[in-house]
Amino acid sequence: MGIQFEHVSYGYHSIEGGLFQAIENINVSIDAVGEFITLIGETGSGKSTMVQHMNALMTPQSGQVTIFGVKLSKNMKKDTKLNPLRQKVGLVFQFPEYQLFEETVLKDIIFGPKNFKVPEKEAIQRAKEVIKLVGLDETYLERSPFNLSGGEKKRVSIAGILAMEPDILILDEPTSGLDPKGRDRLLDLFMDIHQKTKKTIIVITHDMNTVYQYASRVLVLNKGSLVYDGLPKELFSEQNIIDWNLDLPDILHLKKHLEEKYQKKLSRSPNSTKDLFLLVKEELI
Amino acid sequence: MKNIVIGQYVPGNSFLYRMDARSKLLALVVLMATAFIIKDFYHMIGMVLLVGFILVAGGLSVTRIMRGLKPVLILLLFTFSFQMLFVNTGELLYTTDLTLTLYNLPIMMGIIIFWMISKKYVKFRFIYLLLAVFGVLALLATFAPGGVISSSRVQIYSDGVLGAFFIMMRLIIIVTLSTILTLSTKPTDLNLGLERILKPLSIIKINAEEIAMIISIALRYIPTLLDEANKIMLAQASRGVDFKEGKFKDKIMQIISLLVPMFIISFKRSDELANAMEARNFVPGRNRTRLHVLKWNYVDTFVMIVVTLVFAISVVIRVVM
Ligand SMILES: Nc1ncnc2c1ncn2[C@@H]1O[C@H](COP(=O)(O)OP(=O)(O)O)[C@@H](O)[C@H]1O
Ligand SMILES: [Mg+2]
Repeated sequence: MGIQFEHVSYGYHSIEGGLFQAIENINVSIDAVGEFITLIGETGSGKSTMVQHMNALMTPQSGQVTIFGVKLSKNMKKDTKLNPLRQKVGLVFQFPEYQLFEETVLKDIIFGPKNFKVPEKEAIQRAKEVIKLVGLDETYLERSPFNLSGGEKKRVSIAGILAMEPDILILDEPTSGLDPKGRDRLLDLFMDIHQKTKKTIIVITHDMNTVYQYASRVLVLNKGSLVYDGLPKELFSEQNIIDWNLDLPDILHLKKHLEEKYQKKLSRSPNSTKDLFLLVKEELI
Repeated sequence: MKNIVIGQYVPGNSFLYRMDARSKLLALVVLMATAFIIKDFYHMIGMVLLVGFILVAGGLSVTRIMRGLKPVLILLLFTFSFQMLFVNTGELLYTTDLTLTLYNLPIMMGIIIFWMISKKYVKFRFIYLLLAVFGVLALLATFAPGGVISSSRVQIYSDGVLGAFFIMMRLIIIVTLSTILTLSTKPTDLNLGLERILKPLSIIKINAEEIAMIISIALRYIPTLLDEANKIMLAQASRGVDFKEGKFKDKIMQIISLLVPMFIISFKRSDELANAMEARNFVPGRNRTRLHVLKWNYVDTFVMIVVTLVFAISVVIRVVM
């Protein structure tokens, strides 16, 4: 179960009538439980396009996407019910302005659940839980979503998707525009949800520290093609960094500096600063 | 949503493309005015042929013009029916009684229900609708046994037919001419042309340049806003808004969920734009130079002479006849 991509391609029509291939021949299989995936790639590499295929907002132009057993392709049945898939795979968009519209935060959070026929009472109950989960308190529920700061809006939009209780949670650049502390808190929240519920979480990010510290798996898109699908630790080889224009996570930067200073390679990549410290003590000094 | 092209400009290189936007606009106005002063049947036919000639000589595709005419079909049909039914001067051409009876009522309902169910599978829906309407009318006119529910008399007079003909032709001419203009002129050129033509209005304190600026900003932002609308739709769809289905009450909610963010984003965009313009030291009403400059050619003079002649001759015919 979960989500499978088989030879999925999608192109946008340009005004001149041409076709711009945004993703090309993507093959990937994602489990519904136990994965914490980061999706990275330069701006315009097709990340948003790819995740919009994961909750049936888009259907592939060629190839096939299977979401919890439901097959989506160019010649799928016309009456395929797409809406239930959007409850199963919750997608938080990059810009919260695109979805906040109610007078109060509460109404905005229960908008999703109500669309999926969750009784109002239960939806309100969920709203009270998720607002705390995303790091805001209950007083926010009565506020207008338009008077919030950017970071707060983002949290509310995340709460709105969490309240739908999706099986897989996808976040399109959830940490862009947040202060470092807010970013870490949010990532810890996702990790927490992941550990408690075992639900698969997919995060689009440009932050290599996130990739390195949190992800159990990383997907790299480069000009619409999936060029890497594997462990974060093995991603940051010299060649990959040059080929795909990646940054090093801070801890690997530090490791590189230390190695240069001591003119000696460490035997493995460290997991955390503490791990690095132990490694350095064992192998370098 | 994705395939909407703003402005209908289609690149080409006929004389229409070599003309200045100003002369095209002026010629359009003159020709439209001509269409309105024509009162004679053959004269009108001549005018339609002239428009057809412009179309063919300008190398524009006729199917595209047809597509431009499609939205006005309903309007045409309405004016046509009204003219036919309610004008009662001139000769009586045809008369019939439309009678609704207990017997043909169910048959009529049958036709309507059949049309509603089957229309999804038919390619030319509009023609199919006409067929259904015609079927019902024919039924009411010819087959009317049993108890009468209601009855009305339809009379068609020659003036009605003629009036309907003129209105249709004028509408077709106007729409075709404007489509020719938009097909062969870039929106930006059109806007610039409009600005130049309206410039004399500054005497009565109407600032054409500002109006043109507003129009060009609006034009510029249509694709952007469409793009935003598309994003909002996707964002709301992923929160379970099913734009394809839903009861009336849900539909209202769906529209609100689109409109509110749309408004907010538009205001934000316009704010940003105003700031950007101010940062570049934009002062309304100042003299500005242009990147693209309009150029009046021989073609333009020639076309203006021809349309003025057409107009003058039409006036003469109108007065003499
Ligand atoms: N609605 C659209 N119409 C046309 N082109 C688009 C549209 N959305 C995205 N694109 C293009 O597709 C490519 C991939 O976009 P996207 O998936 O948003 O990339 P990313 O999220 O990685 O920045 C980009 O080059 C972008 O310009
Ligand atoms: Mg993106």
